[in-house]
Formats: sequence, C-alpha cells, structure tokens
Amino acid sequence: MIQIAEVSKSYNRKLVLDAVSMEVNKGHIFGLLGPNGAGKTTLIRILNQILYPDSGQIYFEGKLLEPVHLRQIGYLPEERGLYKTMTVRAHLLFLAQLRGLSKTEATKNVDHWLQHFDIQGWQHKRIAMLSKGMAQKVQFIAALVHQPKLLILDEPLSGFDPLNVELIMNEIKALKEQGTTIILSTHNMKSVDEVCDYAALLHNGKVLAQDAVQQLRRAHSKGLIEVRFKGNMLSFANALWTDFTLLSQKELEEGFFECTLQSRGGRKLNDLMRSLQEHVQVEHLSQMQPSMQEVFIDLISQKAAQNV
Amino acid sequence: MSNLFLLTKREIQERLSQRGFWYMLVLGPVVVLLLLIGLLKAADQGKQELNVLIADPGQIMSHRLMAQEEQQIHYFFIDDYLELSEFDKGKAYQEFDVLLELNEKVLNNKKCFVFFRDQLGLDARMQLKFQVERRMEELIAAQHSNLTEQAFRQIKQGFIFDFRDLKDPKNESKEANSWAGFILGAFVLFFVALYSMTIFRATVREKSNRIVEVLLASVKPGQLMLSKILGIGFIALLQMLGWILLLALGFWFLQETIFVDIFDPSNWGQDAPERLNPLSALVFEQLPFASLIVHFLLFFVASFLFYGALFAVLGARSSAEADGQQFLFPLLFLVSFGLFSGIYAIYFPASTLTEILGFLPFSSPVLVLIALAKGLGIAAYTKVLLSLIILLVCAFALLGLGAGWYRKSILKF
Repeated sequence: MIQIAEVSKSYNRKLVLDAVSMEVNKGHIFGLLGPNGAGKTTLIRILNQILYPDSGQIYFEGKLLEPVHLRQIGYLPEERGLYKTMTVRAHLLFLAQLRGLSKTEATKNVDHWLQHFDIQGWQHKRIAMLSKGMAQKVQFIAALVHQPKLLILDEPLSGFDPLNVELIMNEIKALKEQGTTIILSTHNMKSVDEVCDYAALLHNGKVLAQDAVQQLRRAHSKGLIEVRFKGNMLSFANALWTDFTLLSQKELEEGFFECTLQSRGGRKLNDLMRSLQEHVQVEHLSQMQPSMQEVFIDLISQKAAQNV
Repeated sequence: MSNLFLLTKREIQERLSQRGFWYMLVLGPVVVLLLLIGLLKAADQGKQELNVLIADPGQIMSHRLMAQEEQQIHYFFIDDYLELSEFDKGKAYQEFDVLLELNEKVLNNKKCFVFFRDQLGLDARMQLKFQVERRMEELIAAQHSNLTEQAFRQIKQGFIFDFRDLKDPKNESKEANSWAGFILGAFVLFFVALYSMTIFRATVREKSNRIVEVLLASVKPGQLMLSKILGIGFIALLQMLGWILLLALGFWFLQETIFVDIFDPSNWGQDAPERLNPLSALVFEQLPFASLIVHFLLFFVASFLFYGALFAVLGARSSAEADGQQFLFPLLFLVSFGLFSGIYAIYFPASTLTEILGFLPFSSPVLVLIALAKGLGIAAYTKVLLSLIILLVCAFALLGLGAGWYRKSILKF
C-alpha cells in the first residue's frame, strides 16, 4: 500500500529521520512505535505531504506519492483541533469537502458516521459546546469521513475514557475488516498487541526493528514456558531435572499449580512434555511471549547499552 | 470545489456569523452620522432667539439697525453706559442675553465690547457682528463722504491676491478635492490596518488550537494563507462598502429631513458663513467619482494583499494572540506614515519627495487617490499605473515569500 524508501529529514542541521525505510501492506494495521522525539510525527507529516523529505521517496500503491493521493489518506494528528465556532455537521462537511468529496457525497458520509457514532443529536451544536471526548469523536470521524484507503492515526486513544477507547479500538478493527490500511502511532502498547499486524520501532530517527508483531514478540522471547498442571509439586520439580529451571510457582487451588520455567540448552516444549507426562497431569503448556511493551523496552535498552 | 474556495468561504461565513461584524457595520456609520448631526446642530446654535441690549451713550446708531430678513436677534437701545454688575443682577435687564457697549468714539477707535450671559454660537456671533458693522459702515460713509453705502463698501473691500501655480493656471488642483482623495486613502489604510490585525489573530488562533495540522493534510500552506487574506479581505471590503453605502444613505436622509437648509446650495449665497464652504466644495466640486471608485478598489485590494501577507507571516511565527500587541506599534507607524505622506503631498504636490512617496507601497494608496481626486492628464496617469504595478509586484512578492515562511513557521507550536 505504502512504501517508504530511504527517507531522511533534518531540522536546523539536526537529523530527525535517517534513511528510514518501511513497507505497509494493504489491509494491515501497522504500528509505528517509538519513544518521544523518535521522529514518528515527522514521518507521519511527510506521509501527509505536510513536510517534504530531504531525500528518499514515498510510494503509494506503487506510484510516487503525489498530492492527488492525499484524497485517499485519512489523518488524525496527535495535535488536533477544531474550529470552535462551527457546528459539528458544518465542520465535518467542510473537512470532507476539503478531502475532495462532493457536497452530496460529503452529506451522505457525514450522516452515516453521525448515525454510526450515535451523535446525530449533537450535529447542530457548536464545537465549543462539546466535551473533550465528544470533540475527539468528531475528530476521529473527520479523519475517515472521506472513506480513505489509508488511515493514519497518531495517538488516537489519547483523551478518551476507557469506554470510548473500547469503541475506537472496535472501530479500528472494523475498518481493517473492511479493507482499510491503518498506520497506528501510539504509546499504548496494549492496543498494539491487540490490533497491529506489523510494527516498526523508530529510535533517534532510525528504524530499530520492524516485522510482524508476532514475529517481533517471538524474536524477543526469553525461552520462558508457562505450565499449569494437577499433581504433586515435588514430583514436578524432580521431573524438570537439569533441562528446565523453575522460576516461579503458584498454587491456584489445592493440587493445581501454575509455574514459569526457563528452558536450558535449547530444550523445546516437546522435551518438557515428555519429561512431565509420567509425573503430573499437564493442563496447559505454552511458550511465553513478551508483550509489545516488553519488546519495546527490550529494544530501547539494547540500543542504549550499545551506545554506552 | 477547489480547496482555496472552500477555505475562503469558511473564513467569510465565520466572520459573517459573528455579531461583532454586524455591530461594526451598523455602529460605525451611525457614530459618524451622530457626530455630524452633533457638529451641525452645534453650528446651528446661532439661530436661537437673542435679546441684545445696545448701550449707546453717544446715540450714534439712533436706535436703528439694518433691516433683517429673519428676526432672530432682537435689538434694544439705552442712551447711556450701563454697569456690568447692574446688567448682570438688575431685574430690569434679566430679559437680555447680550450687552453690546458702544463707546462715544466707536467710529474712530472701532472697538466695541459684547458681554454675554451664555456662550454664543458661531452663527449668532457672525450675525451680530454683520448687522452692527453694516450700520457702522453706513454711518461712517454718511459722516465722512458723499459716497453711497455700497460704494463705501466697495472701497473698503481689500484686494484678493490669488497665488496660482504657473503649471496649473486655472487652479484645477483644488485643495478641497485633495482632501477628498486623502479621506478615501485614509479609509483604505484604516480598513487594511484593521483587518490585517484580524488576519494575524485568525492565523495565531488556527495555530494555537491545532486545527492547522488537520488542514495542512489537505491543502498547501500557501493556499491556507491566501484563503485567509482573501476571506478576511472580502469581509473588509464588504464592511467598507457597507459603511460608504450607509453613510451615503445617512447623508441623503439628513439632507431630506433634518438639515434641508444646510445641504441646499441655493441657500449658500454670498453672505453665507464661510464655514459651510469646505463641505459644499467637497460635495459639489465634481470629483471624478468613477475613476476614484475604480482606483479606490484597486488600491484597496493591492494594499490588502501586501499587508495581509505580512501579517499572516507574523501570525504564523507567533504562538499567542497576545504577541500581536508588539506589532501594533509598527502597524500604527506605517499607517501614520501613509497619512502624513498624504498631508505632505497636499501641501507640496510638486516636490521630489512627494514623487517618491507616490511609488512606495506604504503611502501610494493615499497619494494616488489625492492625485486622482484633483484630476489627472494621461501623462500623470502613467505614474498612477506605475504605483499600482509596484504595489502589486510587492504584494505578490510578499505573498510568494510569505507562503514559504508561513509553511516553515505554522507547525512550530
């Protein structure tokens, strides 16, 4: 859908993006991650042609990104605002038309989204009268009212209460199912775990890692295994022998335990299964994968250690 | 629909939906008309009835004055001096508003005192002076010559030395016309300055509430800046034309209803007080209205593009509306510069400095309108065109440069 090739950008001789390359596939949700100041917002502005790169190219559906493509891109910036004196409806119509919709199309789409988010009753209210959460909803609608093929969301969940976070997350999933490609820049790692197919981690203007989310988590797995079993704890510990180290144990109910193990010498789950099956009744056995939060911290820590 | 049109339309709609715009549209002309009514009414004070007591111990006037068409001032005579305290406090004199004291040698020393209880209007003073003076002239003519009063007045009349420019022997460059042009030029500068600050504030507000990033994902920074200048410029033009229309309607209403006499030129005979002449000159000197209106609009648009681009860039570089205060002084300085240049040009129309000021974007709108109000030949009109071209080139250069500066500054929160 979108390909970023060797994009660099400097502000006042400070390199903000350093030969960044990424590829976002059609219909995927792509997590753009990174600490503050990593260059995420600059990259997003370049994708929206608000800024232009010093070098490198952006391709949209295989063609060099041109202003005409912006009509197929929706953008919810992190720093977002609305005209306080306009009504909700007038504002959405205005932004939809700016994105290239005719008045008829804009009216139809605005009606649809107002109904979808159940805020028709607010359409004639001035923006100044809306609560922060309500204004955020209007901003979210404004980003997708023109039915973009690519939706770029920069911290879409900030400012929402938990109920509305759930609403927006469900909306993001629904948009993906309808075929919309989404770039999600967020510090909310739970949402990345929940919805992202692919992710890239930017740090100091460079891509530190990028891959499928599951692959990233697997790659940062520390060989931890979670086991739940019925039986005797002593028998379980003996069965581990020297191939696995018991890191933690918890008795969930009498004779039912949950333990965390560390594999040694490259032992696999099958080896563990074979060791345990004659001693305890295994109820659950899984390779523990780190959350994206842990992957994020791990990658940044590794980078910091390299720099020291 | 082009994005520039959409953005401009939004700017216009926002301002039209503000009550302040409509208040200003109506209140501005109303205040001007009320001030005018006040001034004319104040000047009309002389028409009030006055009782004047003339203390004439020498009986010089023989209890007689020249015949009056309208008996607004009533004269009474006593043949003796009167103490001021007695006139002030005496019961018999309370009906008199004014005491005119003629000393016995007044025909020689030509000095008389007029004591009043309440301030006299200009019209009353002039009528009083005119009527007493004419009687004196009659007496002097009779006493010292065999001349008729008319012949005496002709002899008394001083010579008029009318200084005229050799290049303008018919005195076509009338000063009243110049002032009419100056007022139009001042209108241009006033509205341009007022609405340049509106552009500044609108830009800063858009930046500080962060809507600008949403907009810039759809439009170019230059378009956003231009839409602000065009939208607010249209509103400025609308308000200015509204003012002119309402003022014209107001003048017509005053002429037809309240001040019928003052606005009727047939009433402005030789004896009419001179203070009415500037107004009559402005209205009736046959200004080249069509040319003035066309150039007024052209220079307004060009000046607005020039100042608008300047203030949009300043707005993009500022982070708070309060920052605008620091630009108020330079703006006032530039407007004052334009106005003072206009005054200079009226008094020194042929100087080299006037020539230069006519081409500077800050002063050319005023100077050109002054020149046009006086009427121009084809040769001089080429200078007007050159002024307009310079102003437009500067405006478009600033718009071009400004768009770049605007783009660099608008996202620096």
